[in-house]
Amino acid sequence: MKVQVKAFATFREVMDSQFDLDFLQGATIRTLLEDLIERYDGVGELMFASPGTLRDFVNILKNGRNIHFLGGLDTPLDDGDVIALFPPVAGG
Amino acid sequence: MAALSNEQKERYKRQIAVVGEDGQEKIGKTRLLIAGAGGLGNTAALFAAMAGFGSIRIIDPDRIEETNLNRQLLYREADIGRPKADTAAKALHAMNSSIDVEPVTAAIGTTPVRDLIRGIDVVIDGLDNYPARFLLADAAWKCGIPFIHGAVEGFYGQVCTIIPKISPCLRCIVPNPPPVRETPIIGVTTGIIGCVQVTEAIKLATGSGIPTSDHLWLWDGSRQKSDRLKIERIPACHICGKDEYQIRAGERMS
Repeated sequence: MKVQVKAFATFREVMDSQFDLDFLQGATIRTLLEDLIERYDGVGELMFASPGTLRDFVNILKNGRNIHFLGGLDTPLDDGDVIALFPPVAGG
Repeated sequence: MAALSNEQKERYKRQIAVVGEDGQEKIGKTRLLIAGAGGLGNTAALFAAMAGFGSIRIIDPDRIEETNLNRQLLYREADIGRPKADTAAKALHAMNSSIDVEPVTAAIGTTPVRDLIRGIDVVIDGLDNYPARFLLADAAWKCGIPFIHGAVEGFYGQVCTIIPKISPCLRCIVPNPPPVRETPIIGVTTGIIGCVQVTEAIKLATGSGIPTSDHLWLWDGSRQKSDRLKIERIPACHICGKDEYQIRAGERMS
């Protein structure tokens, strides 16, 4: 299945802005992040506080819905999903 | 509604050509709260004053520092050490003496938030941290006042116009905020985002255009690219979950 990944703001400094990834059935958000860590230097350090624990400010949206309110890292991926990786900015 | 004076018709001539005399009158009757007199607040306040918003309340607890001068365009070198809210108010009055400007030197949270937003029609977010943003945005939501969220870091910025009972609230849009810290900022980014926020305020005041109310608008100045990020309301959100949630027909953007 094909999933579209969109990275925003400072996440673009370690990965492409938008790209498609192919996964097998059963893949989850965790699978996707593991793929990104292998694919791009710096993703692991930027997004994870420790192995398996996302940094607090990492917002991951599956089709506009925050995975925190779906199944977290175990949220299943579906064909055609748009996954947005979004670090909100704070300054004024 | 009082008609525009001949002086106002001349002053706002180019703008009246866009929003009409009726629209200009509505702008003149709109009371803004600009929360924060930093980079976003300075830009937003300046363009709001020039546009003729009739009443601007601007709040900030701080004094002007040298490090502010890369982006806070209402201040001059001689202003270093002066209170931001008062100094901004003087600059705005010099720009447009026909509007009311009320400076408040206080932090969000040390002044009762409901008092701050009493009599206000639209809040513009020029704050630099999410604890203060949530305090103000929650109160604005409960009072039915639109809250034009803006934030910046480096070359990046974001804007969302939160319209109570129509949009998701700020807690739904940013459920996982970044920690409070000194943010790196390119001055022009606050200029761009502050201008977008006033564009939103003009649309709300006049009823023209389509506000950015059902998605987050993201600006990437390092790639000269902007995106819209659709964000759904959090189920059972304790701020907006109790209200009937709907997107106005025709406003849904992909």
